[in-house]
Amino acid sequence: MQPTRCLLKRSVWKGPHIVPLPIVRPEPGKRIAPIRTQARSATILPNFVGLKFQVHNGKVYHDVTITEEMVGHKLGEFSPTRKTFIWDRK
Amino acid sequence: MVFIFGVNFNEQKLVKKALQSFYALGPQTADRILAKYSIFPGAKIGTLPPKTLTALTAELSTMNIESDARRVLQDNIKRLRDMGTYRGRRHAMGLPVRGQRTRNQTQSARKLNKVERWG
Repeated sequence: MQPTRCLLKRSVWKGPHIVPLPIVRPEPGKRIAPIRTQARSATILPNFVGLKFQVHNGKVYHDVTITEEMVGHKLGEFSPTRKTFIWDRK
Repeated sequence: MVFIFGVNFNEQKLVKKALQSFYALGPQTADRILAKYSIFPGAKIGTLPPKTLTALTAELSTMNIESDARRVLQDNIKRLRDMGTYRGRRHAMGLPVRGQRTRNQTQSARKLNKVERWG
């Protein structure tokens, strides 16, 4: 990927789209519930890596586990909103 | 017939057009290569001395063109697909990626959008 491509999609002075999400650092040995959110436009930041999100697609919440390469994308990219058309779906 | 980078070219062909026939080598890069080896823009392949031809081939072999460039393209699409993004999904389905309509006229997408994209 070209390095400029990430810069071209949004003004630099604005910075990434940061949404206040209830992120808690898990204490070692403890499991935390996935973060349920409707903020599909929130940019995935490096401190999200390893967390579990439930991203709304308008109808249901899809489970998304954030990996390192997802940083810089939006949460909504991982929660498809459209159902594929199948003829004669019962 | 003259060989550049393993490809046979007609002697009447312009050098710039011959360079542009390689994948991922466009007008700008071709211009830059011509300037580097002091070849005038209207030069034809038949007029080049053999020394320049070998230099051109050596230059092209260091560049990221043809199969290397295709591999970069396919890696980028594969990364999107493996992550499970919307864009990767649309590539795999052979549909437009950037929100174009899909009722009619999606020939380019149908032709090009695939995980193992070649062009």
